[in-house]
Amino acid sequence: MPSHRPSFEGLVRRSIQRRPFRSAATLLCFALVAGSLVSTYFLAGGTRNSFDVGISRLGADMIVAPEAYGSQAEAVIFTGKPSTFLFNSSIVDQVREIQGISEASPQVYVATLSNAPCCTLPVQLIGIDPSTDFTVTPWLKSELGRPLNTNEVLVGSSIIGAVGSQLKFYGTNFTIAGRLEPTGTGLDLSVFMRADDAYTMAEQSGQLAVQKLNLQRGQISSVLVKVTNGEDPTAVASRIEAQIPGTVAITSDILVRKITAQLSSASNLLYVVTLVVAVVSVPLVALVTTMGASERRREIGLLRAMGAKKGFIFRMILVEGLLVATVGGALGIATSAVIVYSFQTLIATSLLVPFLFPPILETLGYVGITLVVAITAGGLASLYPAFTSSRLEPYEAIRRGEL
Amino acid sequence: MKLSFTGSSLIVLGVLIVLTPWYIFPVCEMFGMYAKTTTGTLLVMPCGYTARAELGVGSLLALSGIILLIAKTPQARRAVGVISTALGTFAILFPTVIIGMCANPTHPCREGTEPTLILLGAVTILVSLYVVWKK
Repeated sequence: MPSHRPSFEGLVRRSIQRRPFRSAATLLCFALVAGSLVSTYFLAGGTRNSFDVGISRLGADMIVAPEAYGSQAEAVIFTGKPSTFLFNSSIVDQVREIQGISEASPQVYVATLSNAPCCTLPVQLIGIDPSTDFTVTPWLKSELGRPLNTNEVLVGSSIIGAVGSQLKFYGTNFTIAGRLEPTGTGLDLSVFMRADDAYTMAEQSGQLAVQKLNLQRGQISSVLVKVTNGEDPTAVASRIEAQIPGTVAITSDILVRKITAQLSSASNLLYVVTLVVAVVSVPLVALVTTMGASERRREIGLLRAMGAKKGFIFRMILVEGLLVATVGGALGIATSAVIVYSFQTLIATSLLVPFLFPPILETLGYVGITLVVAITAGGLASLYPAFTSSRLEPYEAIRRGEL
Repeated sequence: MKLSFTGSSLIVLGVLIVLTPWYIFPVCEMFGMYAKTTTGTLLVMPCGYTARAELGVGSLLALSGIILLIAKTPQARRAVGVISTALGTFAILFPTVIIGMCANPTHPCREGTEPTLILLGAVTILVSLYVVWKK
């Protein structure tokens, strides 16, 4: 006669399937814990990734801007909020004379018009000096093999338009020569052109555009600076501000501090939510599992009577808990990843921080840590009910299960 | 009429697809943002037309959910599943390919409406495929 002894896997699976609402609720608890924890990692990691990529794209150790427009200069980098602010280009020579500076290149920032027929999009135009630029010129050399020609532009990753198509700004047509990789910063919403083309565009805007652009030849918006190897950027920044009054030197340290400050309230809130959910969920799951084990006394008694050892019962209840925790954790992580990835632009503009979804290896690291946390929580929650159930004697368990 | 999980899900998804572009993550015209011509005429932007198309898709999806609740035969249920899969696909294609959204990536339609419609469309496809596959 064939043996009808149920398999370990079959028992675990049937136990979960027979209690669908309880299993779903437990799964949801672990999904919430894992989802909120991994969201915190994604938020911090995405901001750091965007900052690293964006600052390396910029290639500068600091940005020197008019003191009154320091926050707007930061906004151009962080969020790409279009701005126009100007000061005299004589600043560039003064900056170059400061001790500790190896390279300095001027840039012109111009905000295009929104909802105007003479401008395709409201974006940030950045005019560069091709002879001194170190922001996009290295990219042009490696990707295009040549500098920008007259009325050619290099666009950020979020600007719509194929390479070779036309964009119109202040009535002048420009051809897209190339597209930069995503950085998650305001550079994705920027259009780089030769400063000379920006001045010519401004001169012609009186006839061609809805509104004249007030930009004189020689005016610039900022100076990007690279410090000499071994020099402390903060010390060089102090020297610049002391020797050239009316300027502010924004180093990457300052940008990091601002991003951290803006991010801290959101990330602290997520950590608190994760902690509260974990503190409430894990004991709740332990209680529900204990109650479930108590209801299964008769079943456990029968299994023991059929020859199942204490270790078998212990492993069965523990594995059920671990399985639900694993599936719930995976579900929470997947849901969080999809939501954060889909809404990363909204996250960046709402929190006013740069954001670029972390690279795949780093993401897998976060996922692994979170899954381990969820599985550990599931194991801890199942330990007590697994232990008490395994200690039940068969007769006692069947008798108490029938009461 | 038996209240099934899949039928109820399709009704909820249909309602969400209808509401998303107008109330949950409204498109640009709900914020007073229009395209302006050289003569000063205000025009509805592509996101507005996508929102109108999603009204139709969401309504048909909700109707499919209702039919699924009352469908008795497996063939009828499978047919509803196939139609719902197509509707979920259109929910994704309208904002991305067929009509599209605004060019400016910081517009509300690109930040909130588009990803939400894509997610809702993807979930609709998964639920509908389950209806087709389930015996």
